[in-house]
Amino acid sequence: MPAERAGYTVTMFVVDIGPSMGRLRTHDPEGNELAQEITNLEWGLQFVKLKIQEMIFNGRKTDQCGVIVFGSRKTRNILNKRMKEGYDRVLEYIPIAQPNAGTLARLDALEPSDEAGDPLDAVIVAIETQDDHLGSKKTWTRKLVLVTDGENPIEVDDQGATARKIKDLDIAVTVVGIDFDDEEYPYTEEDKSHIKTENEAFYRQLIDDLGDNGVMGTCALALRETVRPDIKVTKSVLMGTTLRLGDTDSRPEEAMEINVKTSKCTAQSHAKSWKKFGERKKRREDGKVKVEDDDEDDEMDVDGEEPTQGAKKKVTFAQLKMRTEYYVDRRDHDEDEDVKMEEVEKEPEPEPEEDDDGPTNKIDPGLEQVDKEELIRGFKYGTTYVPCPDGQFGRLPTKKGIDICGFFLAKNFRRELCLGEIQYVWGDPSQPEQQVAISSIAQAMFEKNAMAIARWVTKDGMDAKMGVLAPCIAEGVDCLLWAQMPFADDVRKYTFASLDNLVSKKGEVLKEHAYIPTETQLEAMDNFVDAMDLMDAGEKDEEGNRAPWFDTRLSYNPAIHRVKQAQFHAAVVSDINKNPLPPPHPELLKYFEPPRRVLKRAREAIEEVKSEFKVKQVPKKVARTRKDGHVHAHDDDDEMLLLDAKPPTRSASQSQSQIKVTASPAGKGKAKAGVADDSATEDDSDGEDLLAASAAKKPAGTPPPQRKAHNPLPTPARSLSPEFDPARAPGRIVGNTRPLADFKANIARGDMVSKAVEDLGAVVAEIVMRPFANRRSAELMECLEALRDTCLKEDEIDAWNTFMKDLRKKCTSEPGNAQFWSLVQQAGRKIGLISDVEAEEHGGTSSVSESKAEKFLA
Amino acid sequence: MPPYDDWNKIDDEEDEELQDASYLESKKDVILFCIDCSESMLELREDPVYENVQTCHAYAALDAAMQIQKKKVITGPNDAVGILLFNTTRKAETSRNQGSEIKRNCYVYQPIAPLSAPKIQEVIQLLDAFREDPEELKNQFPPLTDGKRVAMGDVFTSCNWVLRDGAPKTASKRVFLITDEDDPHSGPGAKQLVNSARTTLIDLTQSGVTVEPFFISTEEKPFDLSKFYSSVLLPNNLVDEDDVDPDDPSVLRESIFTSRIEDLLAHMRFHEVPKRAQFSIPFELAKGLTLGVKGYGLVTEQKKGAYKYFVDLGERMEVATVQTVYVDEDRQAEVDKTKMVYGMDVGAAGDDDEDHGGTRVVESGQRPFYTAEDIKSFRTLGMEPGLKLLGFKDRSELLFEDNVKHSLFIYPDEMTYAGSKRTFSALLKSMVKKKKIGLVLSLTRRNASPTFCALLPQEEKQDEAGWTEPAGFHLIPLPFADDIRAAPVEEGCRASDETKNAARAWIDKLSVKNGAYPPDSYPNPALAFHNAQLQATAFGEEFDEDAFEDLTAPKVDMIHKRAGKLLEAWKSAVANDESALSAAPTVEKRGTKRKADIDVSEAEIRSRFADDKLNKLTVEQLKVFLKSKGQAVSGKKQDLLDRVEEFLSK
Repeated sequence: MPAERAGYTVTMFVVDIGPSMGRLRTHDPEGNELAQEITNLEWGLQFVKLKIQEMIFNGRKTDQCGVIVFGSRKTRNILNKRMKEGYDRVLEYIPIAQPNAGTLARLDALEPSDEAGDPLDAVIVAIETQDDHLGSKKTWTRKLVLVTDGENPIEVDDQGATARKIKDLDIAVTVVGIDFDDEEYPYTEEDKSHIKTENEAFYRQLIDDLGDNGVMGTCALALRETVRPDIKVTKSVLMGTTLRLGDTDSRPEEAMEINVKTSKCTAQSHAKSWKKFGERKKRREDGKVKVEDDDEDDEMDVDGEEPTQGAKKKVTFAQLKMRTEYYVDRRDHDEDEDVKMEEVEKEPEPEPEEDDDGPTNKIDPGLEQVDKEELIRGFKYGTTYVPCPDGQFGRLPTKKGIDICGFFLAKNFRRELCLGEIQYVWGDPSQPEQQVAISSIAQAMFEKNAMAIARWVTKDGMDAKMGVLAPCIAEGVDCLLWAQMPFADDVRKYTFASLDNLVSKKGEVLKEHAYIPTETQLEAMDNFVDAMDLMDAGEKDEEGNRAPWFDTRLSYNPAIHRVKQAQFHAAVVSDINKNPLPPPHPELLKYFEPPRRVLKRAREAIEEVKSEFKVKQVPKKVARTRKDGHVHAHDDDDEMLLLDAKPPTRSASQSQSQIKVTASPAGKGKAKAGVADDSATEDDSDGEDLLAASAAKKPAGTPPPQRKAHNPLPTPARSLSPEFDPARAPGRIVGNTRPLADFKANIARGDMVSKAVEDLGAVVAEIVMRPFANRRSAELMECLEALRDTCLKEDEIDAWNTFMKDLRKKCTSEPGNAQFWSLVQQAGRKIGLISDVEAEEHGGTSSVSESKAEKFLA
Repeated sequence: MPPYDDWNKIDDEEDEELQDASYLESKKDVILFCIDCSESMLELREDPVYENVQTCHAYAALDAAMQIQKKKVITGPNDAVGILLFNTTRKAETSRNQGSEIKRNCYVYQPIAPLSAPKIQEVIQLLDAFREDPEELKNQFPPLTDGKRVAMGDVFTSCNWVLRDGAPKTASKRVFLITDEDDPHSGPGAKQLVNSARTTLIDLTQSGVTVEPFFISTEEKPFDLSKFYSSVLLPNNLVDEDDVDPDDPSVLRESIFTSRIEDLLAHMRFHEVPKRAQFSIPFELAKGLTLGVKGYGLVTEQKKGAYKYFVDLGERMEVATVQTVYVDEDRQAEVDKTKMVYGMDVGAAGDDDEDHGGTRVVESGQRPFYTAEDIKSFRTLGMEPGLKLLGFKDRSELLFEDNVKHSLFIYPDEMTYAGSKRTFSALLKSMVKKKKIGLVLSLTRRNASPTFCALLPQEEKQDEAGWTEPAGFHLIPLPFADDIRAAPVEEGCRASDETKNAARAWIDKLSVKNGAYPPDSYPNPALAFHNAQLQATAFGEEFDEDAFEDLTAPKVDMIHKRAGKLLEAWKSAVANDESALSAAPTVEKRGTKRKADIDVSEAEIRSRFADDKLNKLTVEQLKVFLKSKGQAVSGKKQDLLDRVEEFLSK
């Protein structure tokens, strides 16, 4: 069999549109409920359309397809015509051609019929149609895809002949079965009809007979495999250049000049860009423009679609084109030279503000549009205008080629300085002498373990780049690898505080500090690093040795493939709401979590690190707007805003952070250490309730009053001041006023889950027992739901069950709240005890049995 | 260069490449140079570099300020700079001063304003005048005499006022304080003056200003921090503004520069660009174990500034604002950004008339396209910004060729997660000890896409120049399978051991002992060439191309001196290498018929060229020659002749 070449293929899609294909699907293959039900036919067609979309995407003239449907009302096909009879209810729906958007639209128009057709008939028709079309083009690849639910009888008489024919013509056959059993997916249909079981067996036999020419799979698997990431193989172009060393012009005999070819070794690929569309407004006869919507307009679409479909209203989306406009502010500035910076700042951003008033993007009314012809190119040198009509100044004259500047030992190479993509440098493949030259250099460098510093100019007059050349000794060839390195201008030197070398104000080097890990902490971390090692966490090789986990060559860019999947999906479905994008292919996510083996091995080490280091999230602070650029010294009231239901965005917290100063003259340093240090002190009080501890400590951390005026010492951000929410009992992170909001905010932050669970429970129990509690019943029920949900997911199941038992006791005893308890009973199991069955579903455990949970609410 | 309309084409959905520049340029930076003009600062001394030239500390400080201005005007054309002098009796002419007056004996030489050519030239002229007449600075800015000094509190207050009047609110504001006096207030009342200095400095810091001191230390007069400044300076005065000092204030944060005057400029350079974090995200080591980290771009390609469009308004040139709008071309209707939906190219419609080019028709109520929010979630796969540790690998697993873009640097952020520093520090130490790298899944910003990165630990290291490599992790993005190209060449001739040894001989000679790639030695020549012309044009000067020196050019003389002879020997080894002589596999493939007359030596071609008899050669001969020179072999004979001539005449 000749190697398959791209294109030169005719694919026949044979689609079952019999009545059973009209069955509705309410759940996706994983058992999740669909937003809107779809028919088996729609589901199966999705596969066909995705395949066709791929052909459209590739846009090859020699990539053609045709569609045969069976079970149709009409009969029209090549064999029926030829023989004047037979092959009933088989329709050549779309003749063989290069597909386009219209092909997909026609498939959308397919609907299940009222009587079944015979799949084998249709397959034979498809084979004949394909053969007829291809005629003498023997070298084309033939493919056939059958989509069916296998619910209808098959006339199996000439099965053997068909199989032979398929083999003779070398047709690659794919059977896509709706809800066929499939070990690979894996899927097994319950309550499968007898006829379907038979048919599945028949197809399996057929595929087995076909050997290499046949594959079969359940539709869910087929759909998933259409989005399996595949790598677009890009052929790297070899570019000729020269590798030089020394002065080749005046001292050529002592200088080196090698003809080399370069090609890309890595090249970042990006997700395909999205095209922008806008809903087209319609012109009415009175000339007004309006957006079409559901409740009016019965006039014909301007685009004039077929009258048969005209009954339904149509919406047209038009692809948008980009246009660049230029505006200028002709108004005089107040001052000439010393333009205030605010003035300059006013230049409208190129991105318009989001605004709802109509399509016109907001533009400063003082601006005036100008023609591009009026514009002159230039640069800004500060506020000075520097004309430069060419858009660039003269370039530094450079000569094409790679010049070696010197060598250094590879151990001194700083990997983190690499700037971009890597290139291969080969000795010219057509000149053995040049290959030997490169090989000798590569080998010598490899032997010495050296790298070269080199300067690369891609074309005469182009800007030079600096980089390093490293030797690469491959199986059959020696070459060099180029990596671009930064110029002096490209390296930023920021200063960072030392992590180890902490010097006190008195000039003493500190050995112990909250920032310096202790010996036991270091040991815990060592264990963690060992446990999380990936060097032996991969697949086993032939000899049974485990390879390292993660391989760049198998790591697909999830964004690229997910975007492609989404783009294809949108192209083949007409409504995303009804038919949402299926989940990404599992292959895309395989490296998103550490391997299970490793996590299991590291469980203890992780717990140890957690308890040793005690890292705590610091609640975010509210950004305050600063008036007139000055800020008054903080006073304690400012710190009352520490916790807010809506934490500010990170950037906001950053921008305000500059105001917060921890200033302390040396003499007073010691007093303050206690405050900023409290995370460290907390460590010592392990086992204790951390929050209670820190809250209790709070007074000690409050700055002495005499410093209030000028020394804006903030309360340590992580301690929770009890004054903040009067309804929040000391030590509690959930208050009585708006318990649910507090609870959710804490859960969203992800730490102190147990504490939040415990506190919400306590708060609910308190409120329930208070007078007039029933006014808040709805709120409390909401709290319970949220609490249960969290307990289930966060492995706090026992806490929930204990709490519920306690709540029942409280409600049902005197003075209780029987009314509230009956509400709980009405709500039923979704608010009841969590049984072992339910717990297991969420990966947890529970000591409560199903029946006990059932009885609990009775 | 891309087409000129392209430069603002990228919009937020595709902005990944754009990140660094736009991020940093969006925020303005304001620097106020606050230079001491006391008698000792103005005292004339021998120039350390030039013979028979006199200089003074104030001159050096002004010169450094001017150099920084020159650099800033190019890297941040919208940034603003001002110069304040203190300890001078010069009074402000009211016309030059802005708004509020400032304290006595402080003088605003240049108020805070956006940079411009005249402003920089003003400083240059002053410096030139000093070179002509060393008394110039003294005359212009007469120092306070008799050991009197202005209170540092007054200096800080003046800085505060000057910045308040001139700097935009959102900018990062810094004061570069340059003085050689370590004990300004030694006399009576010192205690009070120290207190006032401290309070005014706190005020200054509270209004968002960072003070970065540059103390000049000389042998005769070493600068002793403990005399005055250690009790005045805030512990976080070297921290960038978005890095709030969470530190225990008992710790002196960072080294404060006390430098020799010669190093002043170099030290200012470290601080020229304000330190700004690109992101602040959680770093999950394991479920329930999360640190806070901040990310910085320490290596990013610095590109030439983009040109702008101007409109000639007669009396001035005004920058044109460029705006991109999206239109439905058939209807010439603009579409609002918020109403745009996203999908795939509808493509050229086929024979079916149902689709006119570029439109898609669906039933009313159906939604065939995605919203901006949808497509963002496709790119992030629903991930929230953060780093997630996947595990550890040996250092050797990080291959040279596994690179696609520049790295980032991460440093713990105690302000988001308390305890981050000790955990981070322990992790770093452990990984260095075990020679491991980390593997992380990273999403640094909300509109980026997830990437696998290697986490390369870096220990703190100090070099001779006083620069300290910070402790932290380099985050190196790894290529995806989609980014890796197969090697197009799989076989080639290999050198024999003799040839390899011949190469080794000159490689040894040309190796720098203990050398490494030195970024600092290679300023970007193209960028410098561009900027030099930009500056010359702005100053109205001629640009002297010959005076430009390209520091990246290889030192050929040194190469020939050290290895010339060895290279010659190697070349003959290559020419006689067995494998090359015997192989020649690809050459044989092409038509063997004419092989006989192909062999024309390069010498012969050169002599023919000299005699102008190239056209006697056959097309095949020309092609062979061109090919051996790596030139194109396409075209008619005349094209080939032209190409050979062009090549030889070079």
